[in-house]
Amino acid sequence: MPTLSRSPRPRGFSVVAIALFLATALALAVFPSFVAKPYVMHMGVMLFLAIIQGQAWNVVGGYAGQYSVGHAAYFGVGAYVTMMLLEVSKIPPWWGIWGAILAAVALSAIIGSITFRLRGPYFVLASISVAEIIRLATLHFRDFTRGAEGYLLSEIPTLHLFGAEIVFVGKRPFYYAGLALAVATIAANWAVQHSKLGYYFQAIREDQDAAHSLGIHLSLYKNVALAISAAFTAFAGGFYAMFVKFIDPNIAFGLDVSVQIVLIAIIGGIGTIIGPVIGAMVLVPLSEVLRNPRGLVQVGVLSPDSGVVTFIERYLSNAHLLVYGILVVVVILFAPEGVLGVIRRVVAWGRRRVAARGASPAPA
Amino acid sequence: MAMLEISHVSKFFGGLAANSDVSFSMEQGMIMGLIGPNGAGKTTLFNCITGYYPPSKGEVVFKGTRLNGMQPDRVCRLGMVRTWQKVRPLAKMSVVDNVMVGALARTSSLRVAREVAQEQLRIVRMDHRQDFLAGGLPIGERKKLEIARALATKPELVLLDEVMGGLNTGEKEEIILLILDLKKRGFTQVVIEHDMKAIMRISDRVVVLNSGEKLTEGTPREVADNPEVIAAYLGERVEG
Repeated sequence: MPTLSRSPRPRGFSVVAIALFLATALALAVFPSFVAKPYVMHMGVMLFLAIIQGQAWNVVGGYAGQYSVGHAAYFGVGAYVTMMLLEVSKIPPWWGIWGAILAAVALSAIIGSITFRLRGPYFVLASISVAEIIRLATLHFRDFTRGAEGYLLSEIPTLHLFGAEIVFVGKRPFYYAGLALAVATIAANWAVQHSKLGYYFQAIREDQDAAHSLGIHLSLYKNVALAISAAFTAFAGGFYAMFVKFIDPNIAFGLDVSVQIVLIAIIGGIGTIIGPVIGAMVLVPLSEVLRNPRGLVQVGVLSPDSGVVTFIERYLSNAHLLVYGILVVVVILFAPEGVLGVIRRVVAWGRRRVAARGASPAPA
Repeated sequence: MAMLEISHVSKFFGGLAANSDVSFSMEQGMIMGLIGPNGAGKTTLFNCITGYYPPSKGEVVFKGTRLNGMQPDRVCRLGMVRTWQKVRPLAKMSVVDNVMVGALARTSSLRVAREVAQEQLRIVRMDHRQDFLAGGLPIGERKKLEIARALATKPELVLLDEVMGGLNTGEKEEIILLILDLKKRGFTQVVIEHDMKAIMRISDRVVVLNSGEKLTEGTPREVADNPEVIAAYLGERVEG
């Protein structure tokens, strides 16, 4: 039996949400002035990257409902094209990344026009295999891609911006660039969601046949969703390559890249603006701790001889995929709408409690 | 020129003829009732007309344009829209957003689409529901949402697939009045319905399908008195 419920999403402009968003961005902007530890900066950049990835996936996965588990293809193309344009053609990354985005969008048009004929699990499988094909091709065509050897970044030229010189040394410039890109991505996603595109994407997610009957050109709008998603994912890929300074086919095109991108959105709550932000805040620290528990010591959360560090190092050091897997199961079983869904339920429950207390007369 | 011209439409699924050689024609502003026992091919015919299946044989011509093989989204833009027998609400979107999706077929402005949507919701008397999730509506309101959403695409021809199925008497009456009101406003309608009383009241003409073939066509009175129609619904009289 269906139950009537109000739509959780408030319509139109939410002043509070925008104020909160700007305040957070501002706080993050001044944050390095107080805490400048390289490890903290590193975590910040990884967080921004994950937010961009999660937002990007959300366009095609969360809104349009097309669960691509092959976003490593666009991430990798973003990383490789940006890196190769810099290393081979000496084109600075702030120009090269646009070439990378173009390449990823072109690739998305090819992949989309083939795989969007499929629905549901078949689409998921096709998206995985396409990304794998590209990874294997990158390994194979050594003359062009250097194969498994990968690319090591030599130097990013100095950027002259509004008369200022920006030298990309250390973590800080990346922190600010990452923050700006994350803010821009969130804003762009907000704009997409509050447009005809956003409505059409959601209609396709909810019921393709109904959407089709209401005048929506299914393959066109699915491809538009994928192109937007691919563009931002390639942006993240190019930025990542410049930040970590080394890429190879596994780092750029690996299946775990695709899985992690999906997880950011699913854990946070798909189909929402704030979801991927929450997902990134859960997943990035988790994966960093699993990969390098000594980081916690550097930030001062744990003492060097704490048993936790030794435990993680001994038993979980290569188990991040296992932990992701468990996380997916837990989220799907207990929180299908992600962390955001849990928060909403708790808030609604709290409101009902308060309302019930206010309504019931005091016991005599 | 006829608004809709169906000539010799057949649809085969493998060896099974879901429709065979169905023809009828409709003028602007009329209501055509489409009846027939379960499995007669009524919904298949809707699917052939609106582009979900290309007809295996025959022609569908709408306002002079041949539709065969044209995709449903283009058919919708041409001004023909259908509702679904098994309702298809966009469950996780609000009621007004559902109708806005329909309205966006004619505009890119969300503001305009919202106005159109709210107007359509007022017409089906669901404006008090606009901020509720479509997935939670009871069946009567889901059926009305289907109609509001279809009307928001600004159609000339509306195909209603059992919009009264599963409704109580009061709700049926509301839908009947809505259909008659649409007729007054100049819409052309094809109505699939099992409720014979309702069909008799609203239809200008009735087409009867049986086992995929057109059994007969005529005014509601003619069709109701036709012995072949009675036989199709109730079976042949057993002599002996």
